Amino acid sequence: MKRSRTGRFLVAVIAASFGAASLAAFTAPTVKFSDTKLANGLRVIISENHAAPVFSVALVYDVGSRDERLGRTGFAHLFEHMMFKGSDNVGPGEHFYTIFSNGGTMNGTTNKERTLYFETMPANQLDAALFLEADRMRSLAIAKDNLDNQRNAVQEERRLRVDNQPYGRADEEIEALAFDNVAYKHSVIGSMADLNAASVDDVTAFFKMYYAPNNAILAIVGDLNTGATLARVRNYFESIPSQPAPPPVDIAQPPQERERRLTIEDPLARLPRVDIGYRIPSTLSPDDDTIDVLTEILAGGRSGRFFEHIVRQQQRAVSVVAFAPNSRGPRLFGIEATPTPGTSVEALEQAIYSEIDGVKAGPIAEPEIEKARNMTRRQFMGSVATSLSLARSLAEYALFFGEPGRINTRWDRLARFSAADVQRVAKQYLTPENRTVVISIPKPPAGAPDGGAR
Amino acid sequence: MKSQLLVALGVVVAVSIAGSEGIRSGNQAAGFRPAATALGLGLSQRLSAQEPPPTQGLVRKGKVPVSNEILKINFPRPAETTLSNGLRLLVLEDHRLPQVSFQLLIPGAGGYDDPADQPGLASFTAALMREGTGTRTSSQIAQQLEIMAATLNLGAGSSPEATIAGSCLTDQAAALLDLAADVILHPSFPEEEIARYKQRTRASLTQQRGNPGFLAAEMFSKAVYGSHPAARLSPTLAAVDRLKREDLVQFHRTHYLPDRAVLAVAGDVSMLQARFVTESKLGSWAKPSVSTTAPVPEPAPVDSAKIYFIARPSSVQTNLIVGTPAIERTSPDYDVLSVMNKIVGGGPTGRLFLHLREEKGYTYGASSALDARQHRGDWSASTNVRSEVTEPALRDLLEEIRQIRETPVTDEELADAKRSMVASFALSLESPAQLLNLSLTQWRYKLPGNYWDRYAERVMAVTKDQVQAAARKYLAQDRLQVVVVGDPTRALDPLKKLGPVETYDESGQRTAF
Repeated sequence: MKRSRTGRFLVAVIAASFGAASLAAFTAPTVKFSDTKLANGLRVIISENHAAPVFSVALVYDVGSRDERLGRTGFAHLFEHMMFKGSDNVGPGEHFYTIFSNGGTMNGTTNKERTLYFETMPANQLDAALFLEADRMRSLAIAKDNLDNQRNAVQEERRLRVDNQPYGRADEEIEALAFDNVAYKHSVIGSMADLNAASVDDVTAFFKMYYAPNNAILAIVGDLNTGATLARVRNYFESIPSQPAPPPVDIAQPPQERERRLTIEDPLARLPRVDIGYRIPSTLSPDDDTIDVLTEILAGGRSGRFFEHIVRQQQRAVSVVAFAPNSRGPRLFGIEATPTPGTSVEALEQAIYSEIDGVKAGPIAEPEIEKARNMTRRQFMGSVATSLSLARSLAEYALFFGEPGRINTRWDRLARFSAADVQRVAKQYLTPENRTVVISIPKPPAGAPDGGAR
Repeated sequence: MKSQLLVALGVVVAVSIAGSEGIRSGNQAAGFRPAATALGLGLSQRLSAQEPPPTQGLVRKGKVPVSNEILKINFPRPAETTLSNGLRLLVLEDHRLPQVSFQLLIPGAGGYDDPADQPGLASFTAALMREGTGTRTSSQIAQQLEIMAATLNLGAGSSPEATIAGSCLTDQAAALLDLAADVILHPSFPEEEIARYKQRTRASLTQQRGNPGFLAAEMFSKAVYGSHPAARLSPTLAAVDRLKREDLVQFHRTHYLPDRAVLAVAGDVSMLQARFVTESKLGSWAKPSVSTTAPVPEPAPVDSAKIYFIARPSSVQTNLIVGTPAIERTSPDYDVLSVMNKIVGGGPTGRLFLHLREEKGYTYGASSALDARQHRGDWSASTNVRSEVTEPALRDLLEEIRQIRETPVTDEELADAKRSMVASFALSLESPAQLLNLSLTQWRYKLPGNYWDRYAERVMAVTKDQVQAAARKYLAQDRLQVVVVGDPTRALDPLKKLGPVETYDESGQRTAF
């Protein structure tokens, strides 16, 4: 073993003088897992990894801000906070207190698509973690004072992330303007008014409808035995009753026909910012992998076209970033750019469009494609590097595609795409009539002695 | 879009956190009474309660089937050697995944080594080293790195050392080290790239002042470190304007020296391989004939309490930091203060979180941190609250500090804090890079070879009396520094009730309000 490792390394030394090592030799490790559906509909995915004496649990509920009704924006996330306020056998705060004080870490997180709860603990605490998750799935305690307390915490979270941050408003406005679908138009954090309107009855109904075992996926990864772990999961979870399936989310929206545009004044910003969003198909679309490659070519690191051309060579921007977050419904290929002092937002916008046109017109160089493929390899390594990252990946692949094993096929899929695919996707989606632009302009606050930049 | 990343706990959760039960707070005691001292932190001289009153933020039913056993961890030790030019090499083998990461620490090349008239020069040098070498342009460096899906980051902020960190897949390791060595040994500092860097940096420095968290942290650093280089969180616009190529060349030549540096490698690599590649790539890094490392200076003492206010007129929240000078990393009080910090605010189990958020709903997060360095560092508690509750939130924050000084912690919260700190070490075994950081801490502070093996024993030996003694010694009210950033029409009056306030605008200039 040792000898063969040394040999491989020395080959790499030689190969390095000719540039990056060949990809042909690369075979991704395969993740092995069990996949079981309990009688009550809970999907349980278990993967053994004995590298360290720890385990991680990722419990995904198929409910996010896209499931919220009008007048209750922000509710899915507010509800997530309620999940830490106790259940039949667990007191308020006892969930996180127990995990941290026994050497673990945990959190919960909500986006448009799902609500995820996770913990990593030393291997001898598996019962504690399963008990804690099962108890709140079975018997959440719902009380007005707890709701008021977490409503306050969430409203401070909104102030912290949105209302007190430069460009916080732009992040919300672009989705509100770009989407016509009510499920996707609003932010995950929601409006202050809707957060104020949330009632105990809302919490009760939401819990019953969405926090049922048949609406959840439980992934457990780490230093454990699959059979024994499954038996314990059955013991803690299988008697929790299933519920009627929640109503499907309407993800339809009419096609966008012309550019949408908004300029806002931002008293917290010191420099302007340009936000651009192009409507793109969902993560479930066959174009999803190609969209990732396109993102990499335009905005991947300092060798991406946006940084190399607009930031470094032309010096029109301090930064230009692009991203395409996962969604089963409407979503945006988002671009955020901050002009350098002296550059107009119009000039910066045009520079961005020139780069997009450049991709459409070609050519796309081989190194750009190789870079995207290698980035995929490293992302794969990142997703299997820890018990937590693997548990999250398995649960989220199961949620989005119904198939956790998709984690093992991404590399093969990426190896097959071509430059022509990238150009087709750019031409199809990154069009002027398909985009929404929000410009933030710094505004000195009223009464400030001198709010300008110095 | 970024707002999709909403999480339940408003604190950055470190690997280990502390606990508490039966948490107190005499928040109903004491308004802000102007007191005799400069800071009216007297907050009622109520020293009565021997048991802190309970909080509604935490109720323990005690039914969770936890294991009382703490897993015994054997820390894997890196292999170590010294190359002919004095460079220390640490290698921690881990073949679970085909990846390698490294950190190269170069003492004497950090922000602490900035010439007095050129604050920021170390950070400019580190940033510009990757903007061109004798044989590679800035674009070529970026492209070579990113084709390999490798990372290479250079930094030299508020620290006695420069750090160069990289990571890649195993089959690219030699190529990455080749590139890193070129950047370390042969940076060319092209004029054109310097001009571009200055332009970008000016804009970033402007943008940074829109961030209230930065404004608070910057002021707090000045409050506890004064004219010491640890106070400089960011270069100034004036320093950017003055930057010249020859300064960079000179700083690089005289400060990037191998004989004080350490290269720590973790991952899918053996000492044999790492040594072979490192000798071939960095062997020519010349050891100077005479090498001296400037001693790390000690910050001047802070001998009085003080209140700072930064006006941010459109703020809808008030950012609060209350802290004090503390200890060096090698202090015998380090473990005790770590336990104390965990109880007060080391994460969601800390009193600050349970009280200010889970009970009062003032904030999304409240926590405290101990920052111990080669010189004496600081301890601070911080939170962000809506403007309307600035006064009660600050009062409660100060009350927490008073409580930890005046009232012994409970047996249960002490035991929980210690178990949390010790048991969490199992989690670090998942990350070779994190394990290697433990070795680097040992190297940096010259800690004994068995330092981490004995860690659990030392933490478990900490007593309630020691915790209280440390709180009294370091969290004394006559040294507390209070920093507040917020809307002057709502956040300033509550402060003035505490004592004299130094007021500033967002640019950092003294301003009267």
